Amino acid sequence: MEAEKILTKAKMPFCPGCGHIVNTRSITKALQDLGYGTKDVVMVSDIGCSGLVDPLFASHTIHGLHGRSPALGVGVALGLNNSKKKVIVIQGDGGATIGLQHILEASRRNIDLTLVVFNNLLFGMTGGQVSGLSTNHFKDYKQSADNAEPYDIVSLAHKAGAAFSIRVNDMKHFNEVLKEAIGTPGFSLVEMTSLCTSYSMKKMSEFQYYTVDEERLVNDRRIGFTRVRKTKSLFKNIDGLSAQFPSNYKNRIGVVIAGSAGGGVQSAAVMLAQAGMLAGLHVSMKGEYPITVGTGFSVAEVILSKEKIHFTGLEKPNVMLVVTDDGWNKVSARVSEEATVFVDAKIRVNHSSKTRDFVKVAGKKGAALSAVSHWLKESGIFPVEALEKVVENHKYAEALLSAIRSAERL
Amino acid sequence: MKTTTSKKVLIDASKIMTEALVQSGADVFVGYPITPSNLFYSYSKERFPEFLAGPDEISVLQWMAGYAAAGKLPVTATSFPGLALMTESLNMAFMMELPMVIVLVQRLGPSTGSATTGAQGDLKFLEGVISGGFSLPIFSPSNFNDAWTLSREAVKTAIKFRTPVVILTSKEMVMTQKSFDINSLEKLKKVDRTPKDFEPPYQPYKAGKDMVPTFYPLGNKQYQVRLNSSTHAADGLIHKGSPESMQNTIRLRDKLNLRVDEFSFYELDAEDGAKDLIVSWGITADTARDAIKNLRASNKKVSLLIVKTILPVPQAIYDIIDSYETVTFAEENLTGQYKQLLVGKRTSSKYKMVNKFGSMIEPSEIEKMVNFK
Repeated sequence: MEAEKILTKAKMPFCPGCGHIVNTRSITKALQDLGYGTKDVVMVSDIGCSGLVDPLFASHTIHGLHGRSPALGVGVALGLNNSKKKVIVIQGDGGATIGLQHILEASRRNIDLTLVVFNNLLFGMTGGQVSGLSTNHFKDYKQSADNAEPYDIVSLAHKAGAAFSIRVNDMKHFNEVLKEAIGTPGFSLVEMTSLCTSYSMKKMSEFQYYTVDEERLVNDRRIGFTRVRKTKSLFKNIDGLSAQFPSNYKNRIGVVIAGSAGGGVQSAAVMLAQAGMLAGLHVSMKGEYPITVGTGFSVAEVILSKEKIHFTGLEKPNVMLVVTDDGWNKVSARVSEEATVFVDAKIRVNHSSKTRDFVKVAGKKGAALSAVSHWLKESGIFPVEALEKVVENHKYAEALLSAIRSAERL
Repeated sequence: MKTTTSKKVLIDASKIMTEALVQSGADVFVGYPITPSNLFYSYSKERFPEFLAGPDEISVLQWMAGYAAAGKLPVTATSFPGLALMTESLNMAFMMELPMVIVLVQRLGPSTGSATTGAQGDLKFLEGVISGGFSLPIFSPSNFNDAWTLSREAVKTAIKFRTPVVILTSKEMVMTQKSFDINSLEKLKKVDRTPKDFEPPYQPYKAGKDMVPTFYPLGNKQYQVRLNSSTHAADGLIHKGSPESMQNTIRLRDKLNLRVDEFSFYELDAEDGAKDLIVSWGITADTARDAIKNLRASNKKVSLLIVKTILPVPQAIYDIIDSYETVTFAEENLTGQYKQLLVGKRTSSKYKMVNKFGSMIEPSEIEKMVNFK
């Protein structure tokens, strides 16, 4: 059976003599030589002259953004997850410059696709400007002032982990090189030198002077993949908290717990909220802490309410439980005359707060929970046993229970 | 079908939305960590059939587009700085007509602003995010029930209309835990993705009366698929300036704007004889629910409109606001972005605004504005 033709009969959209013509023909021939049918190939194109190739391919095609086609190709290859399909990405040297990160990422992950960089050393579609792959000889010729060496994308891709990367300047070798690249499982990169007859030399012999030497690099690596898994509902392992303790509370109460990072403030707040649910109340809980979660203040807000909670803001807390200076500094401005405030005895406050030795009786990690337990007992909103019930199956149940019961010694 | 026994748990909306997205058939989460969307990242790592950690937000959207082109339904979650980087790729996905869901968790801006402070400040950016001003479908949940149902609707709309869909939410919605009965949520089914019938021959962008072309993935054995980010015709190829390709782009506007009734969600709590209307959305909607309760308790006749399909604007929203003498817009930004979206920047005695920056609007702030003549 004759192989399907990957190259269509569409007119070449390139200038006469443009290297992209040979490049395109070489890619389609290599695919045919390797036996790929039109529906086995996805051709991903970029922006620029090299991005005009779509109509030339009888395969599937997808035409994306400038420089992003290697990333788009990664998505297609992972999405297809089928070694019988071949993803070919084509971009120019401008695209390879702006999208360098995508090339490195595809290499690092060794994603099964072939990237072909049509390197004509310049931006052809916008007037011949130099790119990150333009060599210094070429930049001198273009009278460009900078002397930065070009990116060696073949070496960069190799160092990032590409299975196969190669630079080829001699068009006689294009076909065999492409076949080797396409036939290599994993990520392969082929940088092909090509002419821009409008903005650079007209002859390949002149052009060779301006190019970087050929180079061929190989990594023996496993193809990159992602795992497709069967997963369980996120709701499966959450414990239901139905009412089992009495509460005569009729209103809405806002509790602020304030302390330092690592002091169990957030977990004490969660436990208070859960205990509230065991007492048949509606609850909300939110935390506030600096971006660096391991240092500084840690503040949590809990609302307990007989009615369903809509608005979860808490501008004026009814109760404030403060166990460290960090916490006090953060929340002291929110203290009002009507609020019930318990602070640790070591915090210096100019306020008629009730001081208690939370840290002394429960330690730094248990102080917040001790304060919660103490306030529950004082207020009688619901029994402290609800809080004990919350922690009874916890990994650290013993320590938590001890913190809760430490309130008896205050 | 609802189950009869309740199961009250302490939960946040990130978990509810992640679960709903997966149950509705989302296949892969591609993430780049950014506060305050990180709970989506961690829940998705556990729950999505496939999970990828992108190296940057441009890659995230490109990978998602690749997955979508290969027939998968991808999801990501981000906040403004991430969306800014995704913008060009989002335009690409819109132009290619690729289904995907982006959860945008608003935080206080401008720029990096305050990462752990909520806001409702990205609506105007989203309104213009597609060059040419084309609307993406944008849903905004007002509570945990919406978080569930709108996640399902986002997947459904993305597939049905072949488009990226944004779920616009806020830190206060997705990071606050509340007591909630998860058994009250309807069990969701995977959205059917069987390609719909088409008039042969197959062309990737040939649409019938419903204005949405039949989707076949790249790599399929039956039909050649050509997807294109540049202006293209039904064949998926560039035909610069041809009437057919211009018409194809105009169709992208029409398929959503003319069919918005199929994904219009809002809640009107209308009071008989009320002349005043409160309009809110997203995180401020629950504040407005409290405000309306308090106003009615003091014998004030007032109605409440909570908008959940933010864009395109359903005609019903205009009809509702036209039928009231005063309309008070409550939203957590300084500029009244939803108000601007509906009636422009111009002030008038009919339209009042309750705005706040850096903390949630309180019920009393809305009540005061409605009572003020």
